[in-house]
This record gives sequence, C-alpha cells and structure tokens, in this order.
Amino acid sequence: MKALNIIIIIIFTIISNFSFSQCNDQLVNVCALDNNGATYIKDFKVKLKKAKKKESAPVAKYQVALSKNTNYRFNSCNATEFAGEAIIQLFDYEQMLGSTYNMSTGKNYKGFDFYCKKSGVYNVYISFKDGEEGCAVGILSFVGKEY
Amino acid sequence: MKKKLLSLLSAVVILAACNSSTQSDVTQELQIPDSVKNGKPLQISEEVMDNMIQNISSPVEIASLIRSTGMPFSQKYICKPDDIKKYDSNFKRAVGLGILGADLGYLNMYNKTGSVLSNLSTIKSVADELKIGQFFDFSTLKRLSVNNENLDSLIFISTQSFNNMDSYLRENDRTSISALIVTGLWLEGLYIATQVVKENKHKDLAERVGDQKLIINDLLIILKNYKSDPNFASLIADIELIKVKYNDIKITYTKGEPEAIEKDGMLVIVQNEISNVEMTDQQLNDIISITESTRAKLISL
Repeated sequence: MKALNIIIIIIFTIISNFSFSQCNDQLVNVCALDNNGATYIKDFKVKLKKAKKKESAPVAKYQVALSKNTNYRFNSCNATEFAGEAIIQLFDYEQMLGSTYNMSTGKNYKGFDFYCKKSGVYNVYISFKDGEEGCAVGILSFVGKEY
Repeated sequence: MKKKLLSLLSAVVILAACNSSTQSDVTQELQIPDSVKNGKPLQISEEVMDNMIQNISSPVEIASLIRSTGMPFSQKYICKPDDIKKYDSNFKRAVGLGILGADLGYLNMYNKTGSVLSNLSTIKSVADELKIGQFFDFSTLKRLSVNNENLDSLIFISTQSFNNMDSYLRENDRTSISALIVTGLWLEGLYIATQVVKENKHKDLAERVGDQKLIINDLLIILKNYKSDPNFASLIADIELIKVKYNDIKITYTKGEPEAIEKDGMLVIVQNEISNVEMTDQQLNDIISITESTRAKLISL
C-alpha cells in the first residue's frame, strides 16, 4: 500500500511537470506559427495564480520597443490545463492603447494588431480573465509596414 | 498486481531519470565565463537590466524594413563568419554572436540559403564556445534552410533560439554575456541600416536610424555595469562616440488618441500619437561614418 502511495505521488508529480511544460516552448511553437503569416519577434510566457478574494487579478508585466510606421500583432494562446483565458493589454506609460478584452461587450479577442506611429518603449500586461489561474503565452509578431 | 506495480514503478523511474539527466547536462554548462565576470554587484537591478535588454530592436524588423525599401541584398553589408570563428575570448565571441545574429536576420529576410548555412554553422560553433550551444538545434535549422518553403519556420526557430539563449543567460547570472550579444546585434543592425541609407536615403529607414537615439542610452547603462573590465570600458568608449553624434538629433511628438477598428474580424488599434525625428543630412552622414568605423574596429577585435 505504501508503495502504491509513492507511485501515485511520483506519477502526480510527473504529470504536473508535463502539464506545466505545455505552456512553455511547446505552446510558443504552436502559437507563433499559427499567426496568419506574421513574423515572430518574441514571446511572453505567463503563469499566474488565481486572484485572492477581493484582490485584483495578478498581472505579468513586460516591456517592448516598437517602431514607428510598423504594424505589430499581439496574440495569445492558453494552456488547456488551466481555466484562465489570457488578456493582453498594451500601455504607453499610463495610457492604455489597446486590449484583447472589450469590457463593454465582454468579448476577448485572441489578439490585436497595433499600428505604431510613435517609436518608443511600451508596456505589455498579461492577466487572466476573471482572475482565474492560468498559463499562456503571448506572442509579439511583425506584420508589415501597412495596416 | 505486484508485477504491474513494479512495471509501472520502473517506467516512472526511467521517465524521471530521463528528465533529471537533461537537467544535469544543462547544469554542467552553467559556468560563468571569467573574462567578463567582474564579481561586483550591478548598479541597476536585474529587472531593469532585463527590460532594457529586451528593448533592443529585433534584427528581423530592421531586415524587413530594409527589404521593404526595395534595395537588393548585398553581401558586403554583412561580416565574414570565418573572421568571427577566429575570436579567442568570450568577450569577442559574445559580441561576434550578436553580429552574426543581426546578419542572420538580414540573410533570412532575403532568403539567402547558402549564406544562412555558413552563418548558422558559425553561430553554433561560437555559441558552443560560450557554452550556450544547446539553444541552437543546428540540424533542424539546416534542414529548414535548405527547404525554401519553410522560411517562416526558419526565421521563427532562429529568432526563438536567440531569445531563449538570452533569457537563459540573464536567468543564470551571465547578463554580461547577454549585454555583449545585444551590443553586437544592435551595432550590426545599425551598420546594415546605415549602409543601405548611404545608398538610398529611404525616409523610413533614415528615421529608424535616428530612432536609435532612444536605445543608445539604455545600451550604455547596461554596458556601464561592467565598466571595470577593460574590454567593456573600451566598448563603452566606442559606443559613447556614436552617442555624441546623436546628441543634437531631436525627437518630437504630436499628440493624438488611439482608435480601435475591426478589420476582417481582427481587432486593429491605430495609434495617433506620432513621433518625428528631426535630423539633418549632415547628422545622418556623421552617424553613418561613426557606425562604419566602430563596426570596423569591433569586427577586427
């Protein structure tokens, strides 16, 4: 019986590890190449815990340098093992420029294109809808010069 | 039942052993090259460093912009991989790896399969010397480069290999190597862009050259963390010379609110705040010249 318990614990640990790996490079590969021809620039791997009661949803923050007159694509893919659905928001300092989540309709897009007209450093925030625990990858891609 | 349990346990142990052997291989390569490690604490936090390093423009973008100007590919813009193969210190190798990375972006964008292979082979050998060769799956990259239909995959895997290598270096107390790679990447990208602008004063590309004023300060802050190393001190002095040429270039902004539209089912955000680079022809020519001389010095290290 003791041996059985040990085996269960080991199997659980291994399965947990395999699940975790699903939201890393494997998911990046799928997400970056299923992007309607946009060219991959970088990825953001995000794993966040469920929000505590009465607290706002945890957020992962990244910075990206974007260039003028360039069309970029931000998109995300969620690991199926977790309930969380990733929301990507793009900020220029304090000003939110865009988000995959439309608060008025409740619709969460898979991604959005951003036509940049101001070269500079921008903040990318990734969180999970309703503060659910989640694991996802965000992808920044280069679409082209026109939008 | 006992037999089944034993078989299951054996399978689990084998799986676990496979997993741990991979981790052990990677751990053995966690050696910090002594030529660039000064042992002193960083003047800025690792988090700020990480953000700054991530903000250096992607070589793919610059290469794509160059291709969009309609200028043909030119081998003379890129360095000879054999020159970098000869580098005999980790400092030189790290800078060289960045240079090769920028050249790879340019070669990939023009689909220059033969040169890509030679470039990748040198990247692999230089990365091996730096003990970060595990991030380059050379056989897959080679297979993709000889099959033109897989250009997207080739660009993706080579860019991702560089990104993963960079993350690994920063997570494993080898940020100095990462800083050198990024410097090589940035300088070679600037060099290729300025060489193209020299032949064709394409407005967007010239503006991108001017935009580097936003990046050069961050790059210097990163490098100055290691200024006690004589090699870094010399590199900082070279980059400072480029910075001087950017001093009088002005970047102004025209305010505007972003707008969101839906196009073919896709959400599109259009930014209406605009940056403008104010740069004279003389200033641009000065940047072209200083970039040429700095890059020449760097590749002849």
